[in-house]
Amino acid sequence: MELLLNDQQILLRDAAAKLGAARGGPRRARLLRDSKREIDTEAWAEIVDAGWLSALVSEAHDGLGLGLYDLALALEETGKQVLMTPLIETAAATWALSETASGAALAEGKRVIPAITVPGQAYSGQATGLRFEAGALSGTVPFVAFAAQADAFLVTAGAGDTAVLCLVPRDAAGLSMTATVHVDGSTSSALGFAGVKVTADGVVARGAAAAAIAGKLQDMLVLGTAAELLGVAEAATALTLDYIKLRQQFGKQIGSFQALQHRIVNCYVDAELNRSLLYNVLSAWDAGTSHPAMIAAAKARIGRGALQAVRVALQMHGAIGYTDEHDIGIFYKRAVALAAKYGNEITQTGRFSELTQSSH
Amino acid sequence: MTNLDWDNTTLFSDDNPADRAFREEVRSWIADNCPKDLCNRALRVDPPELKPWHRKLYERGWIAPHWPKEAGGMGATLTQQIILFEEMSRVGAPTPFPHGLSFIGPLIVDAGTPAQKAKHLPPILTGDVTWCQGYSEPGSGSDLVSLTTRAVLDGDHFIVNGQKTWTTNGHFADWMFALVRTDPAAKPRHAGITMLLIDMKSPGITVRPIQTIRGDAEFAEEFFVDVRVPKENMLGDLNGGWTVANKLLGSERFTTGHPRNAAVILNKARRIAEYSGAIRDPAFQQRLATLEIDLLAFSAFYRHAASLHGHGKAPASMAPVIKIAGGELGQQASELLVDAAGPLGSSAEDIVAGNSVISPAMDLFEMRRVTVGSGTVEIQRNIIAKRVLGLPS
Repeated sequence: MELLLNDQQILLRDAAAKLGAARGGPRRARLLRDSKREIDTEAWAEIVDAGWLSALVSEAHDGLGLGLYDLALALEETGKQVLMTPLIETAAATWALSETASGAALAEGKRVIPAITVPGQAYSGQATGLRFEAGALSGTVPFVAFAAQADAFLVTAGAGDTAVLCLVPRDAAGLSMTATVHVDGSTSSALGFAGVKVTADGVVARGAAAAAIAGKLQDMLVLGTAAELLGVAEAATALTLDYIKLRQQFGKQIGSFQALQHRIVNCYVDAELNRSLLYNVLSAWDAGTSHPAMIAAAKARIGRGALQAVRVALQMHGAIGYTDEHDIGIFYKRAVALAAKYGNEITQTGRFSELTQSSH
Repeated sequence: MTNLDWDNTTLFSDDNPADRAFREEVRSWIADNCPKDLCNRALRVDPPELKPWHRKLYERGWIAPHWPKEAGGMGATLTQQIILFEEMSRVGAPTPFPHGLSFIGPLIVDAGTPAQKAKHLPPILTGDVTWCQGYSEPGSGSDLVSLTTRAVLDGDHFIVNGQKTWTTNGHFADWMFALVRTDPAAKPRHAGITMLLIDMKSPGITVRPIQTIRGDAEFAEEFFVDVRVPKENMLGDLNGGWTVANKLLGSERFTTGHPRNAAVILNKARRIAEYSGAIRDPAFQQRLATLEIDLLAFSAFYRHAASLHGHGKAPASMAPVIKIAGGELGQQASELLVDAAGPLGSSAEDIVAGNSVISPAMDLFEMRRVTVGSGTVEIQRNIIAKRVLGLPS
């Protein structure tokens, strides 16, 4: 569908598409996976140079002053190219730190990753969350994406009846990390905090300010990942369309069969709805008028749609789709990984239900 | 955390100040003027009973928001049109029938002769004349272009023979706009079709109402035996009827495909679930939430499409997507409504649940038609496959 984007959005989207096409792609993603490199460092260097890490930071704080909608357009494009970078995690953390008095200076030159469990990310095993007592952090935070690649973590913790936002160096004493490798080659780690001392300036925000920053940061992670996942689904459907227009059986292109046509049309219809959903939610979020249920809805439905799209994609590719050699499998695995990240369809739908149930 | 401001009937409504003022004006006017006994009926309101309400809207100047001002309409923006529709359905008020106002009216405005405009447009606006659409035939449903009702030019009249069917309001209509075959040898077949405006009181027309699965007679079939139609009642060119008709397909989806249709049914499901106890069932909650999320996505697409339409940038793929997504969502909502009612889901009588009167089975039946009427969802999928995705035949 045609879009109503402003010039700035088109510029950013096209720049991301160009970067993705030049640096990313399924072959590159496979290579990174096989060489156990979670982050595409070449692509990452370009992203850093382009200043996208400060995309969400206000101009008053020397950022690009863009909205989450704008950045999500870039993420959708990098999703289409399976570009393996912690763009949303780092951009969200950079924004959060810029909203604090001391955080930005403290984090200068460091790759900061949020170690925060988002609402709707249920099934968190033995996670306890974090407590901040007598200047030290205790507890566990599960499933921290890109933790293995972080220089520092941004965490929230309960401190009595208030909350704190802290910046913790990766090599802090008492911080342990257990990584899990995911099917797309990315990792997530359980972070253990055993009385990790935080310096006074390491507590970058307290109370309502800390909670407000953490809440927005969580939304950014969920919506940014949803955008990337939508891009993966769109690319998988596009690849499949190309294939069924080419592949011949029974003396005809298999794309001429109505059974296949209707199935892929369903993927198209679903992606159209999900794109509108995501863009409308993002636009409302930037305007400060979104409802928390909308964020859960976007991740739930884009997860559902993407998994359906890659299932159909694999089926329509037939046996070649089951090989590691073919690109469609890369999209399949990426979709599985991003759908599971920051709340899957079941848990985000459950959260949506909680947030909307009492309203009628 | 509770959020009491979730309202699934106004999702992504972002009225500007002028639109907001218009919405408030419409809302309070409807509250003062819409007859309460017409609202929230389980069965539809037939055209004769609807006429006084139609007339009131006409007198207020709101009967034809989408018509240009010079033709007697409001010349309203699409947002204003949507607001009018939303505010009427918010209180369960019946919306005026589209056949005159949304189907043939705009076509006459576009392609009619000065005489046709003078004769037909005013009574469409006042509601004095009821129109029906004569497209489907027993042998021509999805393959509409195969239609065989024959019109032969004989001097200054067409002589019409054949049969039309599934005609909404056929038995109430004063006039029919019909697609008829004027050149049986034409290749392609649609080049042999003409649009005629037919006075339903003409000798040779027999009308038989057809009872639907809902139990009301919404549509009818019509038999034409040597019916004489004056040549000046041809709309557009001879053998140009397909072109005329195709100017319409698409834009009417903005009201027939409005997400509020599904939202209203989902809210009924919620109310009846509170009554039956289903609301505490996690399986019900998950299904309800899934459909509410689908509604949110469909509302977003709808707003998106409407705003593109407002900028004159709406692609042709939009209407079939609205038809498929909105129709199937409405169906699933009605199925949830029946399930939420438990053993009363099959009740043939109205259910009184608190302040609400709900008829799950009636909504269930009503929603079956939305994936069939004006082009089945299968045909819509064929259209997307060929014209949007470029898949081969």
